[in-house]
Amino acid sequence: MAVSPELVFSVLMGLLLLVVAGWLTRLEDWQAYTPVGGGGYGESTGHGHEEKPAGLTRWLTTVDHKDLGILYSLFGIVAFAWGGITAMLMRVELTTPGMDFLASFGGVGLYNALLTTHGITMLFLFAAPLIFGFANYMVPLLVDADDMAFPRINAIAFWILPFATILMWAGFFLPLVGIDIQAAKTSWTLYTPLSSTMQGTGVDVFLLGFHLSGFSTTMGAINFIATIVAERDSVNVPWSKLDIFSWTILTQGGLILFAFPILTAAVTMLLLDRNFGTMFFAGEGGGAMLWQHLFWFFGHPEVYILVLPPMGLVSLILPKFAGRKLFGFKFIVYSTLAIGILSFGVWAHHMFTTGMNPRLTASFMAISLAIGIPSAVKVFNWITTLWNGKLRMTAPMLFSVGFVQNFIIGGVTGVFLAAVPFDLVMQDTYYVVGHFHFIVFGAIGFALFAAMYYWFPIMTGRMYDRRLALWHFWLSIIGGNVTFIAMLILGYGGMPRRYATYLPKFMTWHAVATVGAFIMTFGVVAFVWNIWQSALYGKRVDSGDPWNLKQSDQFSNEWKWYEGKRQTMLADGGEEDADDAERNAAD
Amino acid sequence: MEEQPGLSEQYTRASPWPVFVALGLVLTEFGVFLGNYLLPVGVGGVLLLEASVVGILRESGYVDSLWPSSLGVGLFVGGVGAALLTVGRFNRGAALAGAGGIAVLAAVGFCCYERGYL
Ligand code: HEM
Ligand SMILES: [Cu+2]
Repeated sequence: MAVSPELVFSVLMGLLLLVVAGWLTRLEDWQAYTPVGGGGYGESTGHGHEEKPAGLTRWLTTVDHKDLGILYSLFGIVAFAWGGITAMLMRVELTTPGMDFLASFGGVGLYNALLTTHGITMLFLFAAPLIFGFANYMVPLLVDADDMAFPRINAIAFWILPFATILMWAGFFLPLVGIDIQAAKTSWTLYTPLSSTMQGTGVDVFLLGFHLSGFSTTMGAINFIATIVAERDSVNVPWSKLDIFSWTILTQGGLILFAFPILTAAVTMLLLDRNFGTMFFAGEGGGAMLWQHLFWFFGHPEVYILVLPPMGLVSLILPKFAGRKLFGFKFIVYSTLAIGILSFGVWAHHMFTTGMNPRLTASFMAISLAIGIPSAVKVFNWITTLWNGKLRMTAPMLFSVGFVQNFIIGGVTGVFLAAVPFDLVMQDTYYVVGHFHFIVFGAIGFALFAAMYYWFPIMTGRMYDRRLALWHFWLSIIGGNVTFIAMLILGYGGMPRRYATYLPKFMTWHAVATVGAFIMTFGVVAFVWNIWQSALYGKRVDSGDPWNLKQSDQFSNEWKWYEGKRQTMLADGGEEDADDAERNAAD
Repeated sequence: MEEQPGLSEQYTRASPWPVFVALGLVLTEFGVFLGNYLLPVGVGGVLLLEASVVGILRESGYVDSLWPSSLGVGLFVGGVGAALLTVGRFNRGAALAGAGGIAVLAAVGFCCYERGYL
């Protein structure tokens, strides 16, 4: 008798449930779950009430915002590796006009799959989770809360991500073990009719994972809003004293709350179109335009969801190393809120070439140009903060200044693209690719690196290697500008985006872009090596104020918390002991 | 039993449930949506999700007893299953209705247990 797959899966699921139940009975005291049971809930058992268990169990069961912050960050770095590897495979292929490097692995199809997963991974699995990682760790400290408002939902939101990611990446690995589930080749924008008619379960598996990752983001956003609004210590941290990073996380939460349900609904409709014969994106009524409107109504706010917290990070870090207060704090907050609201009114600037009514394009152009104003307000405030400051060029400072440089080019090219006549020429060329890479890597990526170095002492108790961090910075800023300026030039020359092959006349600048990408890669390797090694073996921080913030009266809440923690550790038998105990616990 | 405190009482910042709520949700969506020979995965996912939701509600102290939440998730899942049955999605509908039914049965069991009949 042949074994049916149903049977295999039933047995496997049965086993999984048994293992889960077994593990849970080992961990939990079930008696405590029923009112008639032995000990009863809440009664002291006489055993110590420590915070967390030891070992792997700690990381699987933690609901502590700091642990989850670290888990989010680690997850973000793993995703960054996948996004980076896929990018480099594409860049190597693009060094020459023909299809050569990838030809024997899957050719153009593989290129399209790499393109799709690169975009989705970098936006949704690297940038967003890393932002959430820092926010998880720092926002409760910054607003003087004990933890996030809903610690368990926080943990659920995190754990959805790795499982969803398995679905989103499955198409690359299942074919290797002989299962015919191919990666999606839809590009990150998932335009219909391509995405609604593309054959293969792989697309559905990918879409399901994407759909689930949206739940995770939404849960996280609700939690951040609740934490900042309700868990904030309103005496020590009234609204007027709320720090700029928390402001941007709050605004981001609002944007997520309005934007992500649209994405979730649109992806659901797409899944239904693909599997259950609905015709949302097929018929006359909806069609391809409906998808584009829904997607970009989510998609443009999404780019600000990703850029606002990094702007907050830079606004937080720059003044610390310029020795002065952030110039025009209020205006930075107002411009954040203004961007948040305006960002919902510009989506059709991604659709200027679709043949929309010209009156509509004109109004979307106007609002898109207007959104440049609050963005520029921020830039001028950052520059003014630096002006006449006592600059200390530490790694976090270098990355913050690098952010400003890259954001200026990214922002100005964005304003150009918002002008209809310019966009009609540049739409779907490498110019657009250059524009958003200046922002997503040059700005968002840089701000996240800055935050990583800035808070490294708090998160690990150790200092990073300064020399490697300098290498990381210089390789990133040089490599980034070489690559993305080459992309802008390719765009001016008319090189269309999303192709694996191209006309020989574009070869020079493509080669330049590839060289730049390699330079960046070396920088990233230095970064990953640095944080890995330094987290384990780096020099221990020897004070609660490693950046000398007290000097300029900028010793903010998270550092106060850290100083307090160090003092209790010392009182409990010395830093070495406490550290070693933590080490053992983590093993 | 009294000698062995459970994880979530002993440790103030740990809970075993979130990871299973997440896994249950993902397996549910994956298995039930794709259907066919993956449907068993979906059923397992629904059961895991139901159990974890009941467990986490109790563990976090939002509810005091197990049976109402068990009944609630059971009726919800069973209701979705019934709705699918009426629109002719037989396999998925039956799977969800069954998984919901199990939670309802569990609710009966919990109720008896908590009142000391078991
Ligand atoms: C200063 C304000 C900005 C303006 C006026 C602006 C304008 C534009 C315009 C008009 C396009 C469409 C180009 C086309 O496809 O023809 C575009 C594309 C894009 N922009 Fe921006 N942008 C701005 C800031 C940003 C920011 C902050 C981000 C990221 C965080 C961003 C990310 C993107 C992305 C990802 C695309 C490409 C979407 C695609 O795949 O087609 N932009 N931008
Ligand atoms: Cu846009």
